[in-house]
Amino acid sequence: MLTILHLFGRSPFAPLQSHMELVAHCVNKVPELFMALERQDFDQLEKIAQQVSEFEHQADLTKNDIRNHLPKTLYMPMNRGDLLEILGIQDSIADKAEDIAILLTLRPLILPEIFKANFNAFLAINIETFNVVHRIIKELQDLLESSFGGIEAEKVRALVDDVAFKEHEADIIQRKLLKSLYRHDDQMSYTVFHLWQKILETTGEISNLSEKLAHRIRMTLDVK
Amino acid sequence: MSSETILLVIILLSGLYMAWNIGANDVANAMGTSVGSGSLTLKQAVFLAAILEFSGAFFFGSHVSKTIQEGIVNSEIFIDTPLTLVFGMLASLIGAGVWLQIASYYGLPVSTTHSIVGAIIGFGIVVGGVDAIYWDNVAFIATSWILSPLLGGALSYVIFSFLRQQIFYNAHPLDATKKFLPPFVFIVGGVISFILVSKSFISLDIPLMLWHRLAISLIIGALGAAIGYYSLKKIQSPTSPIKTTRSYSPAVLSDLSKVKKHLLSAQGSATGELGYHLQILLEEVNGIVVDMQQSETRDSIHAEYEMVEKIFAYLQIISACLMAFAHGANDVANAIGPLSAAVTILLSGSVTTQAGVPLWALALGGLGIVFGLATWGWRVIETIGKKLTELTPSRGFAAEFGAAITILAASRLGLPISATHTLVGSVLGVGFAKGIGALNLATMRDILISWIVTIPIGAFMAIIFFYIIRSIFG
Repeated sequence: MLTILHLFGRSPFAPLQSHMELVAHCVNKVPELFMALERQDFDQLEKIAQQVSEFEHQADLTKNDIRNHLPKTLYMPMNRGDLLEILGIQDSIADKAEDIAILLTLRPLILPEIFKANFNAFLAINIETFNVVHRIIKELQDLLESSFGGIEAEKVRALVDDVAFKEHEADIIQRKLLKSLYRHDDQMSYTVFHLWQKILETTGEISNLSEKLAHRIRMTLDVK
Repeated sequence: MSSETILLVIILLSGLYMAWNIGANDVANAMGTSVGSGSLTLKQAVFLAAILEFSGAFFFGSHVSKTIQEGIVNSEIFIDTPLTLVFGMLASLIGAGVWLQIASYYGLPVSTTHSIVGAIIGFGIVVGGVDAIYWDNVAFIATSWILSPLLGGALSYVIFSFLRQQIFYNAHPLDATKKFLPPFVFIVGGVISFILVSKSFISLDIPLMLWHRLAISLIIGALGAAIGYYSLKKIQSPTSPIKTTRSYSPAVLSDLSKVKKHLLSAQGSATGELGYHLQILLEEVNGIVVDMQQSETRDSIHAEYEMVEKIFAYLQIISACLMAFAHGANDVANAIGPLSAAVTILLSGSVTTQAGVPLWALALGGLGIVFGLATWGWRVIETIGKKLTELTPSRGFAAEFGAAITILAASRLGLPISATHTLVGSVLGVGFAKGIGALNLATMRDILISWIVTIPIGAFMAIIFFYIIRSIFG
């Protein structure tokens, strides 16, 4: 009786956008973490870290909900494998944000003077890279309308190139930061040194993963 | 009352019941896609469906009705025992009707056409023997059952691929739409006219030769193209970036504030995991309200797509009308074929092999369908229309048009096919052309199973009811 209705499955594209919003919540808390660190307000730091953890948990729940509603018999204009990969990469960005939060709470840290300016720039470029890929995910609904081609796909392709460029800039700053960290390794204990190394690495992963995500989306487009 | 009168009444009621069933359950599948995409409101859909289903049944339903009436079972075998044929046709109607009722109850995607054809074959074999069936016709019909979804799918795939390539992939979608619409309407109008115009349209005996038909098709096509061209001229292309603002009605916002109140009161008495989830929900609702209150401006490409879809909404209305017409033409036969066979024998007292389908029967069938639509079918259309949010007018048009052409062509050829299954094939065709977000391929499996199951069960039911009826009236 309702045959035509049962023919249409639950589209995963809107839930995918919702999931990205949750990831964005996590990532946008990271600058707040560092601001609290600068004020040396460790109580506030703990609080924000807990919030990030909760948002990451919500993102996981949404991710699993999407996966549970993606049977093999569902046919989509995007490959099922590609979709699951995109979802996975999105979620790992939230994981990285949570990792940063945890790292900052392991020890009462002080942002070293040697790389304060560069670090703020580094953090900013990582968040910017993420914001661009966030915008790409927001365009998914329009991509569906244009069947993953045409002007809309061109627009997304340009955004992907932008992400790649920003990720490269992030890499450059990361190299500078690591150099100055290693040059001044005698100014800090090994644990602090190791911790900052991990923090730099994990923060850099935000732009790396954003670039990976952008390119996975690019692969699904019908552009020349 | 003589037993013949009682029999007549039962036959009429059974035929009407079958027609009612078609209107109640089947029409919704044809019209639901237009309501879901927003091209038609529920009222408009029901109104159009009522007019066009009846028109299709009355003006074009004779071809398929003839096939069901006399193209499956050889009526000559019953020349000596005409009542047996009457019992058989009645049994087929009741048997198919009962099976359909059971299947709807369990939500199975069963076709009215397959049920009645299976029922007639069933009674034919049991009563008249294997030779009573025109097996070559049955082979044609069975082939058409497989081919119609495939053809509908292929047509819709081609239509949407064309739309996708020329319009949605174009740098200026709105200009492309304006350029392609007139020739498109020309082809559309021409093909439809060609299929519809025939000797037995409205049972007028006007000798129409091939070139007559071609000429009429060309004229109607050109007319349609001209109308389309002049209507489009009024639509301006966006020369500067259009800003569309999505505004949400204040009713929606007040509803959401009610949602917040309810959630807050639930949160007051909830602890633990439940409280956590309620907290998340509250934050989500707050986020949604904020999004709605900030009106969004989009750049011009999105505005262009919106305008393209608005244009396609008109095309989808046309294709919805076609679907309703085609569905009426093909499916009325399921009720009227057996009914007119039985009634003409009862009234004339003997079996005639070239009876033809009486107009009053077609009218009765059409009315039955409209009655089913008006009493129950509109509810099903409403359900489908509310829940089907995936389909935009361009996709809906491509699917409906491909299906409608296939169903019309089959009706013209006198082949009883399943309109619903053809539409499923068409929607899948659009999906394969990357037009739709998510399609449930498991539906194909369900349809296949329903094919395999419906024919034997329909036959079985017809046989049982035949023996019951014969023992009562024989």
